[in-house]
Amino acid sequence: MKYITIAMAKGRLAELSIEIFESIGLNCSEMKEKSRKLIFTDEEHKIKFVLVKASDVPTYVEYGAADIGIVGKDTLLEEGRNLYEMADLKFGVCKMVVAGPGELKGKLDNLNHKRVATKYPRIAKEYFQGKKGQTIEVIKLNGSVELAPLVGLSEVIVDIVESGKTLKENGLVVIEEICDISARLVVNKVSMKMEKDRIMDIVQKIKAKVQEDK
Amino acid sequence: MSKWKLHTPEGVQDILINECMIKRDIESRILYTFQSYGYYEVQPPTFEFYDVFAGESGLIEQETMFKFFDHQGRILVLRPDITTPIARIIATKYQEITPPVRLCYIGNAYRYDEPYQGARLREFTQAGIELIGVSSPEADAEVIAVTINSLLTAGLKDFQIDIGQVAFFKGLMEQTGLAEDDIEKLRVLIDSKNSLGIEELLQGYNISPELKEMIISLPSLFGGIDVIEKAEKATVNEISKQALQNLRDVYNILLDYGLEKYISIDLGMVQSINYYTGIIFKGFTHGLGFPVCAGGRYDNLISEFGKNLPATGVAIGINRLLSALDRQKAEFNIWHVDSLISYNEEGRKIAFQIADELRRQGLSIEITLGNHAMDEIIAYAKKNKVDGIIKVLNSNDIELYNLITGDKTATTVSKLLDSGQPEKGEKS
Repeated sequence: MKYITIAMAKGRLAELSIEIFESIGLNCSEMKEKSRKLIFTDEEHKIKFVLVKASDVPTYVEYGAADIGIVGKDTLLEEGRNLYEMADLKFGVCKMVVAGPGELKGKLDNLNHKRVATKYPRIAKEYFQGKKGQTIEVIKLNGSVELAPLVGLSEVIVDIVESGKTLKENGLVVIEEICDISARLVVNKVSMKMEKDRIMDIVQKIKAKVQEDK
Repeated sequence: MSKWKLHTPEGVQDILINECMIKRDIESRILYTFQSYGYYEVQPPTFEFYDVFAGESGLIEQETMFKFFDHQGRILVLRPDITTPIARIIATKYQEITPPVRLCYIGNAYRYDEPYQGARLREFTQAGIELIGVSSPEADAEVIAVTINSLLTAGLKDFQIDIGQVAFFKGLMEQTGLAEDDIEKLRVLIDSKNSLGIEELLQGYNISPELKEMIISLPSLFGGIDVIEKAEKATVNEISKQALQNLRDVYNILLDYGLEKYISIDLGMVQSINYYTGIIFKGFTHGLGFPVCAGGRYDNLISEFGKNLPATGVAIGINRLLSALDRQKAEFNIWHVDSLISYNEEGRKIAFQIADELRRQGLSIEITLGNHAMDEIIAYAKKNKVDGIIKVLNSNDIELYNLITGDKTATTVSKLLDSGQPEKGEKS
């Protein structure tokens, strides 16, 4: 039997992913030990788990280096890869929003020149240029995006918001909501065909588990 | 200025000795298979006017074409595929056509992906066939059968061809009465098997619950022939019904070809629906995250060039096929030079004659250049996996070195040429 490879985003999403895989009977014990390994196996079910950077999960899955992946919808939207999105796992729930100083609320559309700081240039462009038909200047940042409006780097930001605490502490508010975000189960298009039974078994069990928890 | 001279641009590859040998081998096997089914080869030019590829039923987005200008300012493109030029050829170069016309091709095509993604080459080799002038399911089945047998002759094991029918989806969409924008959104969602997204999108529309359920289930309508039965039970509109019947017909013909074990069905295959008009198929195999071939019926393309002819065809991605074969550890015949001929000056003329005679017998013969000591020649031959050396001493006397056994024998020119092949190696 061939190994099925599952790619997971390092960090909190991986912990939640491990929980769900264990709940459907896969053996993830190797992964719970503190180690720097990036690849783990469940020999009984012939499954390999690999830990990669969140934004790389769609790449691994699209190229077939991993058959299955768990990744946030934000990463999926930003990467725009060609894969199957099989299930909403209902964890890692947050929102993709436009945020900025409170005085811009309701006035954003009137702003002629908009500079948008974000880790998600594609999502920002698709929202402003695609959906709203407004031209923007995207400033790509890699972290601490909330800082940008405070120091005059941009008028607004596009980012994910969970509790809104970081925004509040930096004096920013949500101006517009773009979409809901949560973790998704994705599958490579060829793997789905070549290993249909095993992959669909995992997908169905996970879907049932998510349904049950709801 | 010379900063880049040691590099190749992104998306192109040098194909080196062994890889090139395997590629040629596979290309000729596939071409031979095409010809054994009665397909004649044609070679369209490598670049053409942009207008050829800009038609409404075109498959390729203009962003992905390599463009340049000629002296009159007209836009040229490196061909992004070879099917479109063949459609142009059929419509413009043949006055009278007695269908069916069977054509095949093998050559490079060029596409520009932005941003560059490693597994996608910008220059890639495609081998394909086009069956023109026939709209019956027999034609679609024949193209699929040729595809399967081509992949088999190339040495691919363990692959599957997924067949869909785009008219099935088109029929459902007509039934919903959705606007074009929404159909496109829905198509993208179905293409990524995002059932949840489909459900959300359909919520706002007044569509009968049965139809809604059918559309939501599209992403899961793939697998064996039972998929068609499942869909038939729930289908009411005429276009979709006919599409399912057509799919069933093609499947039944493939049964008679004895190829059913390579076939599965996917009704959720809805890419390029402006280009394809009926049967659509893709080939998948282990060890490769992308389809190894793609094809289908494209009845509207040739009419872009002024002649109304149905057509169906396939393109096999040779580079992808090579990576799949490599990952599946397929074995190939790698050939080497059979014998090395070295000579003393008085033996030169006869050495050339011997070389010509042996080449005529089908061997690959290399002649040493310049004056080298025998141990140098032996070392060179061993390094290059040549099994034997023929040393011509004069117009009569010869020494044979068998590098496998280490034997050295003395003989004469006439004896060597009479006995035929001194060191015949394996050669495909």
